[in-house]
Amino acid sequence: MRETIEIIDNGDGEVIADMTETTAATPSGQPLGIAHRPSPCRRLFADYKAQDKPAFIGYLPFGFPDPDLSLEAFRTMVDNGTDIVEIGLPYSDPVMDGPVIQAASQIALRNGERIADVFRAVETVANAGGVPLVMSYWNLIFHYGVERFATDFANAGGAGLITPDLIPDEAGEWIEASDRHGLDRIFLVSPDSTDERLRVVAENARGFVYAAARMGVTGERSTLNDSSRELVARTRAAGAENVCVGIGVSTPAQGAAVGQYADGVIVGSALVHTLLDEQGDVRDPVQGLSALANTTAALADAIHGCRR
Amino acid sequence: MSVLDELVAGALEDQRDRARVTSLDELKAMAASAPAPMDAKRWLRRDDGVPVIAEIKRASPSKGHLTDIDDPGSLACEYARGGASAISVLTEGRRFLGSLDDLDAVRAAVDIPVLRKDFIATDYQIWEARAHGADIILLIVAALDDDTLGRLLALTHELGMTALVETHTRQEIERAIASGAQVIGINARNLKDLRVDVGRYAELADDLPDDVIKVAESGVFGETEVEDYARAGADAVLVGEGVATADDHELAVERLVKAGAKVKASEAQPLSTHHGPYYGRFGGRYVPEALVTALDELERVYEDAKRDPEFHKELARLNKQYVGRPSPLTEAPRFAERLRERTGLDARVFLKREDLNHTGAHKINNAIGQALLVKRMGKTRVIAETGAGQHGVATATVCAMLGLKCRIYMGQIDARRQALNVARMRMLGAEVVEVTLGDRILKDAINEALRDWVTNVRDTHYLLGTVAGPHPFPEMVRDFQKVIGEEAKEQLRDWYGIDHPDAICACVGGGSNAIGIMNAFLDDPRVNLYGYEAGGDGPESGRHAIRFAPGTGELGMFQGAKSYLLENDEGQTLDTYSISAGLDYASVGPEHAWLKEIGRVNYSWATDGEAMSAFKDLCETEGIIPAIESSHAVAGAYKAAADLKTRGYEHPVMIINISGRGDKDMNTAGKWFGYLTDEQSKALEANGAQGNNA
Repeated sequence: MRETIEIIDNGDGEVIADMTETTAATPSGQPLGIAHRPSPCRRLFADYKAQDKPAFIGYLPFGFPDPDLSLEAFRTMVDNGTDIVEIGLPYSDPVMDGPVIQAASQIALRNGERIADVFRAVETVANAGGVPLVMSYWNLIFHYGVERFATDFANAGGAGLITPDLIPDEAGEWIEASDRHGLDRIFLVSPDSTDERLRVVAENARGFVYAAARMGVTGERSTLNDSSRELVARTRAAGAENVCVGIGVSTPAQGAAVGQYADGVIVGSALVHTLLDEQGDVRDPVQGLSALANTTAALADAIHGCRR
Repeated sequence: MSVLDELVAGALEDQRDRARVTSLDELKAMAASAPAPMDAKRWLRRDDGVPVIAEIKRASPSKGHLTDIDDPGSLACEYARGGASAISVLTEGRRFLGSLDDLDAVRAAVDIPVLRKDFIATDYQIWEARAHGADIILLIVAALDDDTLGRLLALTHELGMTALVETHTRQEIERAIASGAQVIGINARNLKDLRVDVGRYAELADDLPDDVIKVAESGVFGETEVEDYARAGADAVLVGEGVATADDHELAVERLVKAGAKVKASEAQPLSTHHGPYYGRFGGRYVPEALVTALDELERVYEDAKRDPEFHKELARLNKQYVGRPSPLTEAPRFAERLRERTGLDARVFLKREDLNHTGAHKINNAIGQALLVKRMGKTRVIAETGAGQHGVATATVCAMLGLKCRIYMGQIDARRQALNVARMRMLGAEVVEVTLGDRILKDAINEALRDWVTNVRDTHYLLGTVAGPHPFPEMVRDFQKVIGEEAKEQLRDWYGIDHPDAICACVGGGSNAIGIMNAFLDDPRVNLYGYEAGGDGPESGRHAIRFAPGTGELGMFQGAKSYLLENDEGQTLDTYSISAGLDYASVGPEHAWLKEIGRVNYSWATDGEAMSAFKDLCETEGIIPAIESSHAVAGAYKAAADLKTRGYEHPVMIINISGRGDKDMNTAGKWFGYLTDEQSKALEANGAQGNNA
């Protein structure tokens, strides 16, 4: 029995004392067990379901337009009604993103975005009263160290990760780390996912499932087809407790329409857009933040009030 | 008194209490009527997985209370449904809060082997285990002297049970083996931080006899540890807290069982027929969920086609009548002479002439195969990426032949380097999209193709050009390219009367031509395999596409697969550079990463200068103009020759894969060698058809 033997070897207490320096361990020096920490997202959805209203989830890349201004932007989002903030980690090769988020990510990288600083954004969102999620392409987390990221993220008050290019089948290390730290695992589904795939995702997800409103990459669209309503229903039938819809949702009217049937509505590019001018360059910060505040507030009103 | 001594003493005291109620003779009678013991050894080792022993565990001395278990029998059933191979039941009551009632409940509930885990030091306890239906018992070497250990083991075996003999030092392992232990549990905690130290496990488990079953006992919690232990050679794992405290016990066990099976499958031999998605630690599917349905469909259609003789007939017909296969295997005596002058090695050199295929490179082998699958899937639109333009041309060509709509993505920098190939693709009816995002090279073209695919996956096939990307691409592209090596093997024998080559040289970008020529020889250890990456200005310069040399690539996920990757200290993909657009890629096919890790292929690099010098050598000696990509393989032949010489070869037979022809590279070469005047160079630059400008 492993525990006893460790204790024999560590009878003098020295090793136990060393353990205070290990991040992912209990005070007695054992690796963390399963956290059983309640999921902040689940709690929020339960609360909102009782009030019969959908949640508003907003996305911005961290470090865009620059690290400090992005903290302002996250605060602005929460102050204007964003319930859950999806903090994007800019990546050099974002295959699920359309031109607006690609451009914003490149601007952030050029302006000195560093992954280790994202925890400031997590704290900012948490302190403002929002639920902080990080959305990241998997290589960034893998490279930082999955366990290390989970530890730092949980310490900063993070709630969970959205992983656009990590499917449950490849997520062993993340499932383990998220179990140990009590973090939410948000996987995606898409309109042509089979029922079996929906079941795999629902079974492994924690917090909610992210349903893509259409096939394709992120970006604003003037029209929204009805395939997401069916996808939400199918995903629920496959066992998912909470299903939120994003990708291509950009206006208050679209948000209100999706909010009729989804537990949460996710908006990204439309918010990113408020900080850019017509040429795609970064806007004056005061103007940008004011536009962000207005757009956020309009979306939040429409989404929160859509079932009334 | 140590904690172990205390636990043993407590267990013995409890045993004496029980013995006052139930005598040894009564136990023996109970044992006689207990269910016959199962041969647990047969459950604890298998070729296709890593058996999981799942534990009924309420508490431990180090972590205290873990979880309430009101119904151990139903928990054991959940474990069994998740695929556990055996159930471990703690029967120690003082610190682990277990009991023999737990053992009874579990025995009654499951029909897989059951382990009694307690501090066993007497014959009575072993009889007791058997009387309660146990198939396995735990013996802790540290708690027993040699005589007792030997006696208890003998009794265990006599009763038809198996002993899991727990050790945690080299010395204890030796004692266990000397006592006749057949199943050894290894505790490999790093005592510094109590984390699992698989390195220490490997050290401890090293050179254990083959017939001893090795069970990793310490710190197995989730898939990470199962995978690490399995790769370190553990036969089975024992897991407690990770499954006992999970919200869904069945799912928790199932995940561990899958992780073990994945590792076993990822290491399966023979190499030449290895199946994806995993190649050792590499490969997989790191893609958006939106692509999984399409990848599954592709895999299914491909598996179906592989079994269909009509598909093979059609592919063979097109290869012969349209591509012009087989491509010749040409002896290169004058080049061999130059090789001898340069290296002192007297080799016979043969060139596999993929440059003579229709469209001028090996790329068409794969393009035709996949295009036939597109027809089978009923899709109507094909997209592809291209670097040097060879794969784009091949794809545009087969799409024209089969009447498929075709769009090619090409990084803007590559498109300028290869303006003539852009024109060829357009001529063939393809739409060519210059990608102006990111670094504007091959990887950015792949990103755009992936975005297109995610959006249009219902009617569109992504005809990926190399052995990279998500499963099934690495396996499928390998299968369509392996004809290169199969032909070479046959031609060497039939045309030249040589049984086998001693060495094969190929260039490695994504790695499809290299896998293509090497596959037929992977399982023949007589054949030395050499792969050459694009060295650019050399590894120290930072301007290169070398993924395998120390200090270059790292383990990472890129464009669908886990492999070696050139990335910065933030995990962002690095800008790569090579004079050859076709080798200018930040990652490399996962099978190559595995072949490097297991030491089957010797990977090195050739710089721009070395490649261009070899380009000229082959032109001058054999009248063959190789693609600049292939010139890296020719340059590599000098390095391979030097290696063969130091290893004692005197007259080796070498094959160099000439993956493509160099017509497309004449602008770059003309500039490099100064055959073009400044004015001519400038004119070409104005046309965008320049070479070395990345």
